Amino acid sequence: MSHEPFDTLAAAWALGALDGEDRAAFERHLAEGCDVCAAELRSSAEALAAVARSVPPMIPPPEVKAALLGRINATAPTRRDAARPRRLVWAVASLVAVLAVAGFTATLVATRYEARLGQMAREAAALRETVQRDEAALREQTAEYQSAVDLLRDPATQVVLLRGLGPNPEANGRVIWHPTAGGHLIVANLPTAPAGKAYELWTIGDGAPRPAGLFRVDASGRGTHRIEPLADGQPVKVFAVTLEPEGGVPAPTGPMVLASAR
Amino acid sequence: MATSGTDLLTRMAAGDREAFAVFYDRYAPVVFPLILRIVRERADASDVLQEVFWEAWQSAGRYDSARGSPEAWMVMQARSRAIDRVRSTRRRSRTFVAPLDEAVAAAPAADAARDAAEVAEDRGTIRSALERLPGAQREVIELAYYAGLTQTEIAERLKQPLGTVKTRIRLGLERLREVVRASP
Repeated sequence: MSHEPFDTLAAAWALGALDGEDRAAFERHLAEGCDVCAAELRSSAEALAAVARSVPPMIPPPEVKAALLGRINATAPTRRDAARPRRLVWAVASLVAVLAVAGFTATLVATRYEARLGQMAREAAALRETVQRDEAALREQTAEYQSAVDLLRDPATQVVLLRGLGPNPEANGRVIWHPTAGGHLIVANLPTAPAGKAYELWTIGDGAPRPAGLFRVDASGRGTHRIEPLADGQPVKVFAVTLEPEGGVPAPTGPMVLASAR
Repeated sequence: MATSGTDLLTRMAAGDREAFAVFYDRYAPVVFPLILRIVRERADASDVLQEVFWEAWQSAGRYDSARGSPEAWMVMQARSRAIDRVRSTRRRSRTFVAPLDEAVAAAPAADAARDAAEVAEDRGTIRSALERLPGAQREVIELAYYAGLTQTEIAERLKQPLGTVKTRIRLGLERLREVVRASP
């Protein structure tokens, strides 16, 4: 079945030789969809390919293939698209890991330094407390010494010697005593009171011993104690020290460790 | 068993670089002598060859097997790009006539191609399909195929009526299809 002029136009079109109005007409015809012409063109294309194949093949310069593979490797879209997120995931994962380690390290360091700082602060506070306590003790002691010195200047003041008794013969003490102003007890070589115990001073006149206060000694066996004046102004004949429960007792119960000569 | 050209193009469309290497090795030796015959300079032919295969890589997904084999597709692309190159060179150099005559007159233009062709002809194994065409038909087809002339240009060149050229082209192509069918 001939459908001229398209058979003739198809041959020239397959060769790329169609031009002018012929070309426009043939392409309109093709666009409408012609199976005959499609088959003609396909057959002609294969014949023209056979012309190329009928001459001896030639290996092209190797640079061409190398250049093409280089371009493809540089821009291959599917591989790059697949690779990029993977790189991104690794980068993000690495960053997260670095941040996690940094955060952990920071926390660790902070925690340790916080602990150190807290400990230092507690130590400083304790030290300050100790200093304040020592200072208070020193002031108190100084005040006692001052008081004692003032008492010694007074002609009415007596100094009473106390001797160690029982297991502590080397222990000794002095009482600086003023009949109306009270006085001070100063002891030396007295062992530290056992746990739960304290030394208690007694004033003994004509009646039963009267409690005159609790005191402690330091590690070197020394101690001082302020003695309040007796309310009734009664004379004191004997000063004595006993070891008693640390809360103190109204009448002596424990062993006597120091006593003045009668 | 060799992978078909269509399968290679399908894999190329999916970004398969190994398929491209196979495709190139299979079709570049076929289209390179054709390009060289048209552009005549080896450096130009290498450029055009690279351009043609780069386009094949990028447009592999648009290949339509209903319109021809991968080889026919590549030959058409190679001819088209090579003729474009010659035309742009011709416009720049303003030498319209001479290169065309030479392109048609020279059988294989480059020395390498000529040597290869001579070796092949000496063996008597390979002859160009076009050589089996009657002279008048062969002439018009060669002017279109290798020189990229349109039917109007061929008519002017040969000082023949346009209708005669059209008929020769049609008869020549029919004869060519018979030759190819007879000796694939």
